[in-house]
Amino acid sequence: MSNQFKMTLLTVTIGVFSGCVPMPKPQTNIGIGRTIGQSTPTPQIQQQVKAPEVDSEYGAKPSNYILSIRNYFSNKIPRANLSQFKYSQPKRAYKRKGFAYGGAVAWRGWLVEVLVATPTRTGRLLTPKPYMVLFSGNQVVEHILGRTHKLIVKVDK
Amino acid sequence: MANFNTHFMVAAGASAVVSGTLLSMEVVSPEQAVSAFMLGVLGGLLPDVDSARSTSIKVGFNVLSLLVTIMLIFIKSSTYSLVEMFIVAGLVFVGIRYALLDVFRKISKHRGMFHSIPVALIWGIGVAILMQYFFALNSLVSWVYGFMVTTGYFVHLILDEIYSVDLGNKRMKRSAGTAMKFGKFKTTKDKIQTAVIYASIPLLISIAPDTTLIENALFSQEAWLTFKDVILPYDGKWFIH
Repeated sequence: MSNQFKMTLLTVTIGVFSGCVPMPKPQTNIGIGRTIGQSTPTPQIQQQVKAPEVDSEYGAKPSNYILSIRNYFSNKIPRANLSQFKYSQPKRAYKRKGFAYGGAVAWRGWLVEVLVATPTRTGRLLTPKPYMVLFSGNQVVEHILGRTHKLIVKVDK
Repeated sequence: MANFNTHFMVAAGASAVVSGTLLSMEVVSPEQAVSAFMLGVLGGLLPDVDSARSTSIKVGFNVLSLLVTIMLIFIKSSTYSLVEMFIVAGLVFVGIRYALLDVFRKISKHRGMFHSIPVALIWGIGVAILMQYFFALNSLVSWVYGFMVTTGYFVHLILDEIYSVDLGNKRMKRSAGTAMKFGKFKTTKDKIQTAVIYASIPLLISIAPDTTLIENALFSQEAWLTFKDVILPYDGKWFIH
């Protein structure tokens, strides 16, 4: 086999395989408003330097909840790195177990309402979904999709 | 009317398509899609639960008795000893599987109101309520499960109506119209029964989980766009992603 033929074959092979590399998925710059998004520090972040508020019944108010929520959601929702978040202030709340598990109070702590706008696989940004993220101190306990749940009582409105 | 195997196979096929679509639209996670599929199949068998000698009634009561027994074990596991739990669980299982089934067989009438559209809706709402209150699931998943049961239920009713057409003799069988109906209105008892069933729907809705998420996920323009996104490969490449 001649060197010229080998070179041609190599070039064609590389060309074919590089053509198979998937194009990056489309990313749309979605303007849902100033309130959603984390590119700039928000007032909540600035508040994190303050001493944590401690409630005797509900425990310490989460101080770095924004970071905790971002980390928590990073493997919980699809395309979390492309999603946009909007946070409420933490509020005291409690949650009962499902009646199948006895119905007793299962958690008492701080709840942060989060709106998460996730892009679809085509890059189209969906209407933000509401989540309730439950904290015990600075630790995220669980997240619940929705603004309300029959077993969750928000003490602070 | 279609037999148990036909109902099972068609319900399984329809549930697989619906739950697969919901998974693809990212309405549910893979685990939730499996549960949704199973509930859809169960919904497809439920209407024949009122038939005293059907396989559905046996399957339905087997599932119900197991479910209640397992729930009891969950609730009492922290306080009861193993022997106490074994005795109570056994009593509950036998009580539902045999005693309650016997009572149910005596009072139910096949092709009564169980084969009707409002009861299909009631099952869906009931399942959504059960999922949120009893198993603490979120509103979206609770309603998806309710939706699947109602979908399976409708598939059963439609199949029964299809089987009431005698294609060979080109005529309608006597069973035509008894499966997919809005109510029974022949006797006063029928009318009262129908009225009670319709009255229970708003009552159930008043305690049901929030519907905002399911409306947005399944019955909105955005849901339609998402559905269109997943029908064909969005980047035009087939099987290579």
